[in-house]
Amino acid sequence: MAGNMARSRAWLEIQRYGLPAYRRYSSGGCYPSIPLTAPLPGVPKPVFARVDGQEKFETKVTTLDSGLRVASQNKFGQFCTIGLLINSGSRHETKHLSGISHFLEKLAFSSTAQFGSKDEILLTLEKHGGICDCQTSRDTTMYAVSADAKGLDTVVSLLAEVVLQPRLSDEELEMTRMAVRFELEDLNMRPDPEPLLTEMIHAAAYRDNTIGLPRFCPIENIDKIDQKTLHAYMHNYYTPGRMVLAGVGIEHDQLLECAKKYLQGVEPVWVSGKPRSVDRSISQYTGGIIKVEKDMSDVSLGPTPIPELTHIMIGLESCSFLEDDFIPFAVLNMMMGGGGSFSAGGPGKGMFTRLYLNVLNRHHWMYNATSYHHSYEDTGLLCIHASADPRQVREMVEIITREFTLMAGSVGEVELERAKTQLKSMLMMNLESRPVIFEDVGRQVLATGTRKLPHELCNLISNIKASDIKRVATKMLRNKPAVAALGDLSELPDYDQIQTALTSKDGRLPRSYRLFR
Amino acid sequence: MTRQVVTDVTSRAQYSAKMAASMLRLAGSVGRRVIGRVAKGAQPLSRCWSTQAATQAILNVPETKVTTLKNGLRVASEDSGLSTCTVGLWIDAGSRYENEKNNGTAHFLEHMAFKGTKKRSQLDLELEIENMGAHLNAYTSREQTVYYAKAFSKDLPRAVEILADIIQNSTLGEAEIERERGVILREMQEVETNLQEVVFDYLHATAYHNTALGRTILGPTENIKSINRNDLVEYITTHYKGPRIVLAAAGGVSHDQLRDLAEYHFGKLPSIYEGESLLPCSFTGSEIRVRDDKMPLAHIAISVEAVGWSHSDTIPLMVANTLIGNWDRSFGGGVNLSSKLAQITCHGNLCHSFQSFNTCYTDTGLWGLYMVCEPNTVEDMMHFVQREWIRLCTNVTESEVARAKNLLKTNMLLQLDGSTPICEDIGRQMLCYNRRLPLPELEARIDLIDAQTIREVCTKYIYDKSPAIAAVGPIGQLPDYDRIRSGMYWLRQ
Repeated sequence: MAGNMARSRAWLEIQRYGLPAYRRYSSGGCYPSIPLTAPLPGVPKPVFARVDGQEKFETKVTTLDSGLRVASQNKFGQFCTIGLLINSGSRHETKHLSGISHFLEKLAFSSTAQFGSKDEILLTLEKHGGICDCQTSRDTTMYAVSADAKGLDTVVSLLAEVVLQPRLSDEELEMTRMAVRFELEDLNMRPDPEPLLTEMIHAAAYRDNTIGLPRFCPIENIDKIDQKTLHAYMHNYYTPGRMVLAGVGIEHDQLLECAKKYLQGVEPVWVSGKPRSVDRSISQYTGGIIKVEKDMSDVSLGPTPIPELTHIMIGLESCSFLEDDFIPFAVLNMMMGGGGSFSAGGPGKGMFTRLYLNVLNRHHWMYNATSYHHSYEDTGLLCIHASADPRQVREMVEIITREFTLMAGSVGEVELERAKTQLKSMLMMNLESRPVIFEDVGRQVLATGTRKLPHELCNLISNIKASDIKRVATKMLRNKPAVAALGDLSELPDYDQIQTALTSKDGRLPRSYRLFR
Repeated sequence: MTRQVVTDVTSRAQYSAKMAASMLRLAGSVGRRVIGRVAKGAQPLSRCWSTQAATQAILNVPETKVTTLKNGLRVASEDSGLSTCTVGLWIDAGSRYENEKNNGTAHFLEHMAFKGTKKRSQLDLELEIENMGAHLNAYTSREQTVYYAKAFSKDLPRAVEILADIIQNSTLGEAEIERERGVILREMQEVETNLQEVVFDYLHATAYHNTALGRTILGPTENIKSINRNDLVEYITTHYKGPRIVLAAAGGVSHDQLRDLAEYHFGKLPSIYEGESLLPCSFTGSEIRVRDDKMPLAHIAISVEAVGWSHSDTIPLMVANTLIGNWDRSFGGGVNLSSKLAQITCHGNLCHSFQSFNTCYTDTGLWGLYMVCEPNTVEDMMHFVQREWIRLCTNVTESEVARAKNLLKTNMLLQLDGSTPICEDIGRQMLCYNRRLPLPELEARIDLIDAQTIREVCTKYIYDKSPAIAAVGPIGQLPDYDRIRSGMYWLRQ
């Protein structure tokens, strides 16, 4: 990065003092003026591939001596997606500074021992038609590259460099601080409050622990995070036993060979040796409420006003994706569905899900009602986001609590079948995309050491009965709720009232009599 | 609405499929952004540009098979053996075919397509689609109208039958039309809160003023309130003719089956089409400024006239477009370092984001840049943008061009991931080129470009040309038109 800055500055100088601005008006160029409607002569005749029946799904997994798991999945095509997934995310930051994963995400693919700058890395990848990206979530960090499969060797060696030998120079850290600051700013400016609400509901549901820890770097930590804190963290969590090298669109043996070559017995840039303190805490669901009073009367960035809305999210603990009940919860989430009251999809968007039928279609003053299911290795959270005019918050909360209590009521055969079919089709449609397969392979192997294949998941979904939904919903409703509220909260019922409503038969809020309204 | 390097159709998506609820949850926490630039539209699929021998290129992709029916309707598909598929109708009709009085009809019609047919009520249609786990979607752009379905491959026949039904037997009931006016007016409000869309509509309005391309896709409010059943029927009978329609499909689809289905369901569409000539839309260097100092950020688009889809200079312009690149300040200093403009804006903190675009139409196009800036950086930003443009025309280097070529190839190839982007590519190319460009040819066309080609082509379209400008927000710092115009050339030193 230092090199880049210097280079671009030099370049600016050159520009400032002018370069000879010669104009070449000759048009003796050799670029052929053949329109795209006609074939370009002399181009080799393509020989196309043919599909031999259905795509075969088989995920192979090998564990190396170091504990690193190597997982691969074949896929028709010339390109591959390869990456390292690490069991590391904001949930592991208990004994470190919050925001480290956020920083590592931004710093990914920066200079390393071998590569002087991010630019050099990109150039290396570009030779193989590749692009790279890093994403962190609450529990996982993913470094991934998509490139021509012929570049496999380069890609794996580059990934090993990026993950184990990052320089984390002062300049890079400074740039990252700025980018993080900008991102936080944008997060608060964006009219769509979903990321903020998701952050809040996690904090409410798992107060001060694991997945309840902030996913975005708190503003006060931005200046505190430096190379030392990052290395100390990586030393604990970037260890082979917590990693999976996953690849889609390559041969398992080749990936294994590269893994041995570049990831076996490599000394990382930080001090090696036994990790000192790995946080293995299991998430503690606490429930609770997080309120953020914010003036949302003028969130529009332009001259056209966006109506003032208050957003609420109510959630309950579901289960981990390792439990059998995960599938009924996924079906339940699909059955609840919902979305925006306007323009959020044509037929197929879930028009007959409960949040559309019972909520949005009946209460036209509501702007949004959407169900989300977040799932982790030790817990999960099923929540509903709703938004409406601040004056109707109480009514809105009651509508949502009623929907929650109805989950434990009867489930219609038709709606269940529809939800199951839609869940299967969503799964299969998402898995058309290679990066999605990559993430699926990587995450499953990271969590369980194996991968449940798409058709196995489809079978599990097919077997779900109405009684399964009722059972998991009843169990879920026994717990305390987690609540997040954002905007003008003057009409928001108390947490206790929401809790009472959720444990009541009909989901109604206790009547409150007020003398003055 | 996405404006991508390649597939820029400037469409108004009526329905944006809500795929945020990814089943990736099956494997962990929510995967909202998938890997890479996936979310932004470019990612990998099976593809290659390995030109092996001189005479043959072995591809790892299936062939796009094309059949033309007797009535001129084209059927094009690629079979990748998946258990799901995308199938749709790409129709050579959009708001450009409208006039001042009926502007908005194409879009109105798209809305009416899901409101019931002679055979299915709206409710029947919705239930049928939802119960089969399928998705039905449509969008209208200035030159194209698209209806498509995503479904399990086994449901392909039903999906084609539904598509045929909604475009041939739509009831267009008076009551539904009345109801839909309200929906479209509300959609209009929604569009108005999206400043990028607002700016691009202004850009078209000024660049193509007094022509069909200058009008919006939604049409003015008074048209939305007055368009009637006759207008819609007339639009269909004029435009929905065999030769102007492509039935495209990708994923797990057998071409033979698709062709038979097309024959059965679309065989009766009229083939006569009195080759209505598309009126040229002339470009005018001009500007629209909507100053509003209460807004936090300035949104500005500046563009020159480029070329239509099939023009041979399209590819060099796309390379130039890639070279300028795009950037968002939350990317940080990296990600797009191949772009010099990104380096400058990043180090000088000159904008929140910028995006180079190349929007093509049949016989014209807009090549330019969209930027979002703080009020006090507008002038500097504009200066560096223009300097970069001039540099393209004068002394862009071989290494930059080589890199942009490589990136363009990568983006184009990686974008074709999944049945929907592939089907989209097939449909659009069939309409624009009347064939699907084989990858080796696309590659060859990119490979032929060098720095000199870029300098020449850019000089032809950018150097000393009058740009069209649209600016909204706190734009007090935006130099006046004459000054911007004089930044379009350099005095010889």
